[in-house]
Amino acid sequence: MTQLWDLFIGFFRASNLAFGGGPAIIPLVQAETLSRYHWMTPSQFSDGLAISTSLPGPIATLLAGYVGYHVSGWLGVLVALLGTIGLTTFAVILLTSFLMKHMNSPVLKGMLKGVRPVVVVLVAKTAFDMGMNVSLNVYSLLIALFTLFALFRLKLHPGIIIVLSMLFGILVFR
Amino acid sequence: MSKDVWNLFIAFTRASNLSFGGGPAVIPLIQKEVVSRYQWMTDEEFADALAVGNSLPGPIATKMASYIGYRVAGWLGVLATLTGTILPTLLITILLGDLLIRYSNNPILNAALTAVRPVVVVLIAQSAYDLGKKAFPKNSHVAWGIAVGALALMFLTPIHPGFLILTAMIVGYFTWGRKKTQDSINK
Repeated sequence: MTQLWDLFIGFFRASNLAFGGGPAIIPLVQAETLSRYHWMTPSQFSDGLAISTSLPGPIATLLAGYVGYHVSGWLGVLVALLGTIGLTTFAVILLTSFLMKHMNSPVLKGMLKGVRPVVVVLVAKTAFDMGMNVSLNVYSLLIALFTLFALFRLKLHPGIIIVLSMLFGILVFR
Repeated sequence: MSKDVWNLFIAFTRASNLSFGGGPAVIPLIQKEVVSRYQWMTDEEFADALAVGNSLPGPIATKMASYIGYRVAGWLGVLATLTGTILPTLLITILLGDLLIRYSNNPILNAALTAVRPVVVVLIAQSAYDLGKKAFPKNSHVAWGIAVGALALMFLTPIHPGFLILTAMIVGYFTWGRKKTQDSINK
């Protein structure tokens, strides 16, 4: 029983301190899993990490599921997930219903108008930061150019572009 | 209503399970589903969702899922979007865990993931472009001022996005939110 509580608290702590995007949570979860609660060995953790970062989807919830299952089976998964997304989900819903209720308020509309340029800048900066982390070589450039072409000219669905680039990657990056 | 709930589930399953390459990779995919395909919201409203998402901690995917799910179909919508987002890969991780571990450091997989990164960069940049088209009202110096200010602050200081958003809300309020009633009627 205390294990379940620990799982909840551990993941609650890790996820609510994790500002700055997906991978930011990794060191926090590691601290909880290895240093604080000793739920698994470091190599078991890095296995979980490898899976969580190679599969699509949020790293945080995959890690929570992996560790939670290891500690306490399916109940552990549930509890770890609750700790991870419970509070923010609730906060988001509260904010959302507030926004929905006051949708026609000129005050709110004005405020949101102010926010939109910031969001654009935030998203653009994300692209920029990620771009800086891509190793500069002919293939990456080719892939990027192809993506642009496929998106704007061919109007391909992003999912298709992703799969195609993965196949290309397998051919050239090995 | 139940059609929306089902579509929410499908949309978020699709978006999340193609989002290789890190948290923000899911943003353009969600945008494609929510704005382009199902037209549950406009680009402007999607930007509002991102604003909420960027001010709170936690995975962006689940924050967007909660916001959009709730907006479209209330609590049931949230359940649908969160399930679609989390469940498939979670099940794969737990049920195929051992198998995955054996293959996760595979050079083929790493090659595939390396190739996805430039795609994700372009996709996210395109999102910014789409949102940008709608975020700058004609001739609005204030909007551009906000953008430039935000850009400067982000590169020069370790400021938290939440503060930027808050400040922008205040500027927005003073610029557009305090119309006299006459203007509101004219609109």
